[in-house]
Amino acid sequence: MTKYCYVHIPFCKTICSYCDFCKLLYEPNLVDRYLDALEREIDSIYQGEVLETIYIGGGTPSCLNMVQLERLFQILNKLNKSKEVEITIEGNFESTTKEKLEFYQKQGVNRLSFGMESMSEKNLEFLERSFNKEEAEKVIKEARKFGFQNINIDLMYALPKETIEDLKEDLSYLFSLEPEHISTYSLILEDHTKLALKNIQPMDEELDAKMYEEICQEMRNHSYEHYEISNFAKKGKESRHNLCYWNNEEYYGFGLGASSYIGNERKSNTKSLTQYLRKNEYREIETVGEKEKIEYEVILNLRKKEGISLEKFQEKYNRDFWKIFPCMELVNQKLLKVEENHLSIPENKWYISNEIIVQILEREKYE
Amino acid sequence: MKQENIRNFCIIAHIDHGKSTLADRILETTGAMDKREMKDQMLDSMDLERERGITIKLNAVQLSYKWHGECYQLNLIDTPGHVDFSYEVSRSLAACEGAILVVDASQGVEAQTLANLYLALDNNLTIIPVINKIDLPSADPEKVIKELETIGFGREEIVLTSAKTGVGIEELLEKVIERIPSPKGEKAKPLKALIFDSLFDSYRGVITSLRVVDGEVRVGQNIKMMETGAIYDVVGLSINTPKEEKVNSLSAGEVGYLYASIKSISDVHVGDTVTLEENPAAERLPGYKPMKPTVYCGLYPIESNKFEDLREALEKLKLNDAALTYEPETSKALGFGFRCGFLGLLHMEIIEERIEREFGIDLIATSPSVVYEVVLTDKTKVMVDSPTKMPRREIISKTLEPYVKASIFTPSEYIGPIMELCQDKRGNFINMEYLDETRVTIHYDIPLSEIVYDFFDRLKSSTKGYASFDYEISDYKESNLVKMDILLNGEIVDALSVIVHKDFAYSRGRIVCEKLKEIIPRQLFEVPIQAAIGGHVIARETVRALRKDVLAKCYGGDVTRKKKLLEKQKEGKKRMKQIGSVEVPQEAFLSILSTKE
Repeated sequence: MTKYCYVHIPFCKTICSYCDFCKLLYEPNLVDRYLDALEREIDSIYQGEVLETIYIGGGTPSCLNMVQLERLFQILNKLNKSKEVEITIEGNFESTTKEKLEFYQKQGVNRLSFGMESMSEKNLEFLERSFNKEEAEKVIKEARKFGFQNINIDLMYALPKETIEDLKEDLSYLFSLEPEHISTYSLILEDHTKLALKNIQPMDEELDAKMYEEICQEMRNHSYEHYEISNFAKKGKESRHNLCYWNNEEYYGFGLGASSYIGNERKSNTKSLTQYLRKNEYREIETVGEKEKIEYEVILNLRKKEGISLEKFQEKYNRDFWKIFPCMELVNQKLLKVEENHLSIPENKWYISNEIIVQILEREKYE
Repeated sequence: MKQENIRNFCIIAHIDHGKSTLADRILETTGAMDKREMKDQMLDSMDLERERGITIKLNAVQLSYKWHGECYQLNLIDTPGHVDFSYEVSRSLAACEGAILVVDASQGVEAQTLANLYLALDNNLTIIPVINKIDLPSADPEKVIKELETIGFGREEIVLTSAKTGVGIEELLEKVIERIPSPKGEKAKPLKALIFDSLFDSYRGVITSLRVVDGEVRVGQNIKMMETGAIYDVVGLSINTPKEEKVNSLSAGEVGYLYASIKSISDVHVGDTVTLEENPAAERLPGYKPMKPTVYCGLYPIESNKFEDLREALEKLKLNDAALTYEPETSKALGFGFRCGFLGLLHMEIIEERIEREFGIDLIATSPSVVYEVVLTDKTKVMVDSPTKMPRREIISKTLEPYVKASIFTPSEYIGPIMELCQDKRGNFINMEYLDETRVTIHYDIPLSEIVYDFFDRLKSSTKGYASFDYEISDYKESNLVKMDILLNGEIVDALSVIVHKDFAYSRGRIVCEKLKEIIPRQLFEVPIQAAIGGHVIARETVRALRKDVLAKCYGGDVTRKKKLLEKQKEGKKRMKQIGSVEVPQEAFLSILSTKE
């Protein structure tokens, strides 16, 4: 049963230097045609399940005008929702007007996600972004007035010239806004971004790791729970949508470049708007058999603090985890820990989790 | 074919002077191949030969040429040009009466021109000097003629050719017929044929290349290998034109191939004499003095279950490469492999590549070592071809290492840098000879181990590639040698140990540690790298622990991407060798050769 749904709105008013997401410069005519195509895609695929989460990501969904937003929600209202549905919409502060906040609230949106990234001048210049403190504070205040009690803010760190002091300033400002949820990402230099074209070199690994430690520490000091490698939340405010990925659950993915996991298929939609408008939606389809599902189970669950429930694993696959992955040695080396029948990576090793996961996969004996 | 109409000859030259192209043109001119059939460098049949532009395995081809109403049989035996292969050169020389000496019209006489010339003269061959590539804008035939005069040729003997345009080729063929003597053997005598090459064919077994000296061999006769005593029934005889053509017999003076369902590789020795079981020859031909390997290294399959495959590959390669030696060796770090001996570095590289390409076995090669002589306190002598065989220091009375006589050919403006290099390499100056006002040969005594290390690269870079170089092993000299071990995470990695001169140990140790630090990826734990002599640490570096290896962002649920990334990372690990708790990439084992200061 598919209970989660991602919807992608690829448009942005400006393009940030680091962005590798599927994005396009905002163009009103294109948006209209895009929304028509989106509707067609949803109509042809959605099977009427009751959804637990809907996540409207981008791009910058908040850059759509009111008419376009109304059209978007008219489409989304075809989806069946559970009583406790979590509906998130992403956006930036400058385009999130009072009118839009009011509209979101009426449409049942109950979670907002803003990209702040940084407020330090040199970082903003590097990222080719702008940020206005008053504006941000005003939007947050308005949102609170409309009753939003679950706000996420994104923070970026490990930018080439950033210092620990810069990071501390960003963090302290971030805490002053009192979001319930914070996502943090170190800069990844992706191909096909403006940064890659400029041949920017990544920050020294040591300092990057120190910054991560600093973030973890500060989050603890401010009572945020570190529930997943990159995500922190006040108690009970974990992103349910985000967790569906890490719990290896099935999900719909609608829109340009969106990914879905349904049944035995993981699909990625095309990133070409022309192709998408011509109904050529898929870019890639990966068929996942039991072996692959089990591998995903490990790769994804180990991103979370709670790790893999060995009991659920046994129930789901009717197999013994340790027989498929004889990795007790890694537990002895304290690269993994077992607590309450959950296998997880200790928090102080999360930043090298890829290496640990690879070591688990190297020991795989799936038959 | 009348014996007096047969000519057996080879082509010798410095590397790159156009030997194979000249052979191609001769094939074309004699009509053996028409242009349509020509692939460049027809005689080089191994892919590797064509790619590297050098001839590794010799090859014989029979051509016919009409001159003054007479038909002649020309047997062209191709030879390799590189110094490491002088053994193979001498093999083909023994099957010939004459040699064409090719010199590049712009580069002139080079080190290997001389080395090959002397080898040919030792074999009593008639030499026809040829100046090739006269079509090049930079060609200066007059200058090269003078150089050839200085080394003893008459101006009238020299043929000017361009293998590229075909100029002079007919004149050259006429000179071959005129000047090279026909073979001397007698058809009526008992069969004596020299095996000068062999190769393994999966359908026909061992195929041998023969030069019949006396007598005649026919299909169906019983032959006997005089050295091994093995007896076989001749299944087929053929010649290469350069397509294979079956013949019924080969007689005195002729060159061809013989196959006899020989399944046992060890029965056929290159250099052995083939005779008939009935009416055998009284004594063998002189054969060859097998060359001793000068450079050794350990070859290990990356996948340990490929050990037997590697043994088989070496066995097959040895069949036509008697200079290659191998014996099983065990390394704590690398498992089961072979200690292999080679004639030189190029020989080593080519064998490695052939094993990887032709036999599909991925290899780890340890750093090359020469053969050291160690005299123990009880006066016994030990030959050490691997650092792991070095006796304990307490029982060593003295150590000796092999030296070579190096001849370096160079324009005179590079004398300074070359002398500097040779001194750096612990060389002793012998003398210097001028070929003309601008060209000079410098002679040095240099330890072979220094040549193996990085001499050639440095010579090329300090002379902008103008110098050429040749060497022959001379003798052993006393030298203060020590075994330097490399420790990873506190444990000696046997495959990384080297024997070095004590005065150079510190700098070598430092360079190797630095290089390993670059090559070994960060691991979950900190990895100390140390260089030590007898437990005394002389250099140290540290690979710091991995701090960041995580994919933070998930792109709108695109987790497939994350899985692919992890799978790639996992694949990368397969090419590494686990040594204790440390993962070491293949190239680490050659880091010992690193020359970066």
